[in-house]
Amino acid sequence: MLQGLAELGHAYLGFLNPLTLAYGLGGAFVGIIMGILPGLSATLAIALLTTLTIKLQTNDAILVLICSYVGALYGGSRTAILLNIPGTAANAASCADGYALAKKGQAGRAIGIATSGAFVSTLFGVLCLATFTPVLAEVALSFGAFEFFWLALFGVTMSGSIVGQDPLKGWLMGMFGLFLAQVGQEGLYAHDRFTFGWDELAGGFALIPALVGAFGLAEVLTTLADPIERKIMDLKDSVLPRWREIAQYWRTVLRSGVIGVFTGLLPGVGEDAGSWMSYAAAKAVSKEKEQFGKGSIDGLMAAETGDMASVPGHIIPCLALGIPGSAPSAVLMAAMIIHGVQPGPMLMIQHPTFIYEVVAMTTLASFTILLFGLFGVRPLLHVLKVPRAILMPIVFLLCVVGAYATASRLFDVYAMLAIGTAAFFLRRRGYEMAPLVLGLVLGHLLDKSLRRGLVLSDGSLLPFFTRPICMVFAAVTLFTILLYVPGFKAGVNWMRRALVQGFKALLPRRG
Amino acid sequence: MQDASPPTAEVEPPADEPITARGDLTDAACWIALGIAILVGSITMDRLEQQHINPYTVPGLLPGLLGIMMIVLGGILALRSMRRGALHLAPPPPSAHDRERWRRIWVVTALCLGYGVVLIGHGLPFWLASTIYVTGSILIIQRMSRDPAERRRTQTPKAWAKALTIGLSSSVITHLVFQEFFLVRLP
Repeated sequence: MLQGLAELGHAYLGFLNPLTLAYGLGGAFVGIIMGILPGLSATLAIALLTTLTIKLQTNDAILVLICSYVGALYGGSRTAILLNIPGTAANAASCADGYALAKKGQAGRAIGIATSGAFVSTLFGVLCLATFTPVLAEVALSFGAFEFFWLALFGVTMSGSIVGQDPLKGWLMGMFGLFLAQVGQEGLYAHDRFTFGWDELAGGFALIPALVGAFGLAEVLTTLADPIERKIMDLKDSVLPRWREIAQYWRTVLRSGVIGVFTGLLPGVGEDAGSWMSYAAAKAVSKEKEQFGKGSIDGLMAAETGDMASVPGHIIPCLALGIPGSAPSAVLMAAMIIHGVQPGPMLMIQHPTFIYEVVAMTTLASFTILLFGLFGVRPLLHVLKVPRAILMPIVFLLCVVGAYATASRLFDVYAMLAIGTAAFFLRRRGYEMAPLVLGLVLGHLLDKSLRRGLVLSDGSLLPFFTRPICMVFAAVTLFTILLYVPGFKAGVNWMRRALVQGFKALLPRRG
Repeated sequence: MQDASPPTAEVEPPADEPITARGDLTDAACWIALGIAILVGSITMDRLEQQHINPYTVPGLLPGLLGIMMIVLGGILALRSMRRGALHLAPPPPSAHDRERWRRIWVVTALCLGYGVVLIGHGLPFWLASTIYVTGSILIIQRMSRDPAERRRTQTPKAWAKALTIGLSSSVITHLVFQEFFLVRLP
């Protein structure tokens, strides 16, 4: 415990130098700009910055990426408030109340609330990150091939179930992502799979070009496909952070912080789930339910704190288990691997101080957004006035550079183009990209774990279902899938009603 | 110049094209076909018997299982779409807004593919290829605008000069920042 605190203190002190602070501010600046621009996501911001920071020291590079991650989500709420378009998917829940406040001439107040909520909830998430990551990493040391098999499958299943409107399409995308990860040389015998004799495919699909395609090119196409260009609301009042509202709605902040961190722990679920769940929970307990969607401070606070608290939440499983909580954290994980840090159970042994350094980086990220919230909101919003006809070709130019730069392979540019174009058309048909990304990340782990597990058990499937942690993962995974079978769902509902009625029947007797 | 206030911002855009049951049925057929292809590819994949590997570790094991899952899930999607009337309900005819959107999609896709496949990596310097792409894209996208004034503006030498300046400056800045400052190789 004391050693952990000492490591943490050391990590904080290590970041107190002008160059590091400049890197942090630079990362947050790029992240906020990317977040403000509708359609450009935190994933794209991190992917592009990964290539730009490839020659930096590990800690400086990861600091830039974490600051851009936090900055992008923070910047996205400005667009939600002023334009009624979420800057990133995570800010969708802020649209209704934020835009309603802007229409009442309180856009500055809404932005101030978003700034203070984002700052406080990120700090709350950082506290959870510092507390839970070492504990989870300790537990993960007992994981073997059987547990990792279920963990990977659980991640893809949960992601498919929760992200988007249609779990069936989510699972199909998850399967497709897992399949894409199988292309190229497999991990046990270096045998080429589905390469059709094409040497370029032997290396498989790299994560960063795939993500730049799915979240960059697809967004460029989406933005430019719309014949209508929207205009932003006027910003008349002060945009300074509103601490009074934080004190007034402290219950909402705390509740949304807990929900945000909890949803962050679920693999591949994404920041938007934290935001929507916090919003729904705030509405459920609010005394002013009718105000939700019409400019409720409570609603805006819940949405903003929920999504920002989920950022450190997503980093927890990424560091401790090597399982990313969201698409941006998947790129962050890939960047860590590029810089020689392998996230997962062995992280605490191989790089014992790294977790504390990430805690310090995330803390610094929360202060950078506060700084930009205090001094940089109005100037940064000018970027929204740049016509998309000018902005989007430049964004695509950066996408090409981002796809190429990590490995200097033209094949990666072609992969980005193919995946991006496919992602655009798939999204129009209701298919979400997050399960695909998670499948692509977890495909190797699932393959190796399945085959190693079968070797260890000599072909028996029993250990996959009888080991304690496996039993929990298997039960939750199968339950999640079966919930979409009408007969099973009806049975669960019937059982739930029966339990509730039975419980209610017991209460008067006690009285 | 003086005649146009853009008719864009006040008009609430119509909803995106609805996802139809027939569309889902087409998707299901594609998923099933992909699943079958993956399954066949996995079954016919080398089992490395000459290397005497453990038979439970054959390379095609997981891809085969994924192929089966795609066939099953695709089958469920097909059944669901048929229950929702995929075989009986005709898709709604495309509106003018949809046609305009599709025209924009094809043009923008062609621009992006042209840049990524044709201009890049075939001997043309990166900054020149990027300048051509950015300048051309700005002019073409502005030309597709709903605002007649903006469309007319693209025909003026000033608009061409502005697009060229933006194209050239963005390409040169990208080149300098990535290649010279951060030492990242460019195509």
